Amino acid sequence: MKLLKQFWWILPLVFIAIYPVTLAGGSPYWSGLLIFVGIYVILAVGLDLLMGYTGQISVGHAAYFAIGAYTSGVLTAKYGFSPLGAMVIGMALTGAVAWALGRPVLALKEYYLAMATLAFNEIVVTLIIGLEWLTGGASGLRDIPPFSIFGLVLSNHMHYYYFVWAIVIIVIASSLAVVRSPFGRTLLAIHSDEIAARAFGVDTAKYKTRIFVLASVFASMAGSLFTHYMGFLAPDDFGVLTSINILVMLFLGGIGTIYGPILGAFFMKLLPELTYQIHDYELLLNGLILIVVLVFMPKGLFGIFTGIWEKMFVRADK
Amino acid sequence: MGKDVRKGRQMTEKHDAILSVNNVTKAFEGIHALEEVSFDVRSGHIKALIGPNGAGKTTLLNAINGILPPDSGHIHFLDHDVVGHSADKVAGLGLSRTFQLIRMFTINNATVLDNVLLGAHIQLKPNLFESIFRRGKVNKAEKVARDKAMELLRFVGLEKAADATPGSLPFGNQRLVELARSLMTEPKMLLLDEPASGLNDTEVESFTELLRSIRQKGITILLVEHNMKLVMNIADDIVVLDFGKKLAEGTPQAICANPEVIKAYLGAAQSECRLES
Repeated sequence: MKLLKQFWWILPLVFIAIYPVTLAGGSPYWSGLLIFVGIYVILAVGLDLLMGYTGQISVGHAAYFAIGAYTSGVLTAKYGFSPLGAMVIGMALTGAVAWALGRPVLALKEYYLAMATLAFNEIVVTLIIGLEWLTGGASGLRDIPPFSIFGLVLSNHMHYYYFVWAIVIIVIASSLAVVRSPFGRTLLAIHSDEIAARAFGVDTAKYKTRIFVLASVFASMAGSLFTHYMGFLAPDDFGVLTSINILVMLFLGGIGTIYGPILGAFFMKLLPELTYQIHDYELLLNGLILIVVLVFMPKGLFGIFTGIWEKMFVRADK
Repeated sequence: MGKDVRKGRQMTEKHDAILSVNNVTKAFEGIHALEEVSFDVRSGHIKALIGPNGAGKTTLLNAINGILPPDSGHIHFLDHDVVGHSADKVAGLGLSRTFQLIRMFTINNATVLDNVLLGAHIQLKPNLFESIFRRGKVNKAEKVARDKAMELLRFVGLEKAADATPGSLPFGNQRLVELARSLMTEPKMLLLDEPASGLNDTEVESFTELLRSIRQKGITILLVEHNMKLVMNIADDIVVLDFGKKLAEGTPQAICANPEVIKAYLGAAQSECRLES
């Protein structure tokens, strides 16, 4: 029991490590599914830093996903950049955009902030469609090469799977480090009471902008990973609907916990796989499951886990 | 920063005032909440700011610490004119405060210890790079802060409540958590907004002792308070506000004997005030 309490995190790591060869059985479809899950885990965890911890609503997180994806796509497909270089440029560009937007946009609160982030998402999608010579517009961007690091091409889905999940684990570990540090405490203070936080020396605009930049850079990385897996980009994948999907992952999994959004991403991406057989009722059933979880489990899926956890250990300790 | 502090010391030695408020005026929609208010707080003193409800006491504290800057006038803390400084900058200069309506950080089940630790923000200055890549250094600084926070919780008598959520504590203890959190910032001066409201008589007595030992540490206090017994017991001098104007300023004895103050504010409480003096 004690061992489980200390080293529980090894179990999911082992699962991630052996999944492609065991459960997926080398099938590109099943490993691909978990590649998508990983990409959405990065998006959801980043947004959790901004929303769950700092309390700043964003209904446009897909905008930064898009900037990363298209920077990678355009630079590699049209200008012959290396995927790794393009990914880093994408992160820098997205970070710069987030930094410039941060102060003016994050000075807004609640509904106004939601509207502003939503509008930015729309602007980005409109630009992608409008700048046809660069992005391929509504008909999409083709011929994006697979990811390669220093000449090693990750065209095999299994290689790419491990690459994506290595980045996912780095993102999760960094996020946990941030929220467990004094930086995370400052974010929670801003979330609780901005005026009181300022009275204790917190430059709230600066801290909100910093975490916004980090969340956006994470989203940009997710975008680059997405681009090279798909090999093809269309603006539909980056609309407000995607942003809302990420939000649902947060609330479904349990916001403000880091682990919750991870579960949320798994759930949202794997649920359609379980319900697709009853084709006609798929959307209806997905909607129903969502409503049930959100109404009856306000702490999300992670709340169920912590509930079981407490029963196992708190009682055992007594 | 270091240079500023030294300059500040020279200045306070010369004038002996750590805080000086000059002709401060603040209006809300045409109504004067503060009108040409001026007074000094001497370094190392406890100064009480009293007056009826709505006299502008909290407005003045908000003006001093930068939450709602005044329309005109000057406020000097050490040698800085803090009018126009944001609240976080003022806090960085060594001016901390508590709130009349307790403002605790509660998100994600933040504990009493977490709340006190936020007071270390100015010293820790957390940044993203170090939080992710230099965790050893961050953890070391955090441990020092944690020890100090526990020490301050012991100082206010709440070390046993460190892991409780602030909301589960009685009202009076929440005020003590606020005090510990302010002390955590290593302030040169404290603004306390009605810290004794909601405390019973024994609690007020031990709170008075706390204020005395804080003064002994060399921390100047500006105290907004209705409890005249506490004020008479501890204040070195008193300034009285009424309808946004300064009505009187002086020693506790002089204020108690001032007929205008009695008329405007003390009224029945006057007897209590005389009793102590």
